[in-house]
Amino acid sequence: MKKSIGFLFAGLAGGVASGLFGIGGGIVLIPIFGLLLAFEQHKAQGTSLVALIPPTGLLAVLAYAKAGYVHWLTGVLLIPGLFLGGILGAKIARRIEPRRMRQVFAALLFLLGAWQAFGTWRR
Amino acid sequence: MHIVVLLIGLCAGILVGLLGIGGGVVLVPALVHLLHMDQHMAQGTSLFVLLPPIGLGALLEYRKKGAVDFQAGIYCAVGMLLGGYLGGRIAVPMSSRLLTQLFGGFLMLSALLLWGKASKQSPPQPGVSTRDGA
Repeated sequence: MKKSIGFLFAGLAGGVASGLFGIGGGIVLIPIFGLLLAFEQHKAQGTSLVALIPPTGLLAVLAYAKAGYVHWLTGVLLIPGLFLGGILGAKIARRIEPRRMRQVFAALLFLLGAWQAFGTWRR
Repeated sequence: MHIVVLLIGLCAGILVGLLGIGGGVVLVPALVHLLHMDQHMAQGTSLFVLLPPIGLGALLEYRKKGAVDFQAGIYCAVGMLLGGYLGGRIAVPMSSRLLTQLFGGFLMLSALLLWGKASKQSPPQPGVSTRDGA
């Protein structure tokens, strides 16, 4: 029971980040699973994918759409690649050893973060 | 133009499966820097893309490895529905530039926390398949 409440709060935190940053929320869930709930990295990633299956971002999309912040055509075109790429990426992940997996995860996040943060300075 | 969008989707998808994330962390920077969308537009579009179960194929791969806790995932989904609404309400009135920097800073911070944890961790446990030896 206590654990379920922890999961609900993990979801809430992931959701706030999801709505705030327009992301799935997995990058919040995975560190919470891994660092606070002591999940092994692959299990954290697999479980995060479960949480991302239902359209949890629905209310957030409505908030953005009301303000005119959704580019529908681009969105539709992105979907097939994401689905197929997802299967491919998961096949690669299964071959990676857990500790290395967490380092790959952290390194990619850092690069993406730097791209976002420093990209604004050129404009 | 459409081809570029399709390719961005594929690249983001590979990271979805590889990292177990929604893909928004890749989509948002890609939409901003490659398609020159404004930060809010990129985030709104990314959220829309994540509505269908794009991670389902990836999830099935993880299940083959037994690396899934369904109960935890379902509880999280409930919390995320509410949290997503709150986050959206906070982001929409913010300036695009501030939002972009906040996003980048947030990603780098999570990365550093995780890297620290990965480096401190004990060597891989026996029974876990690994090529460089346990």
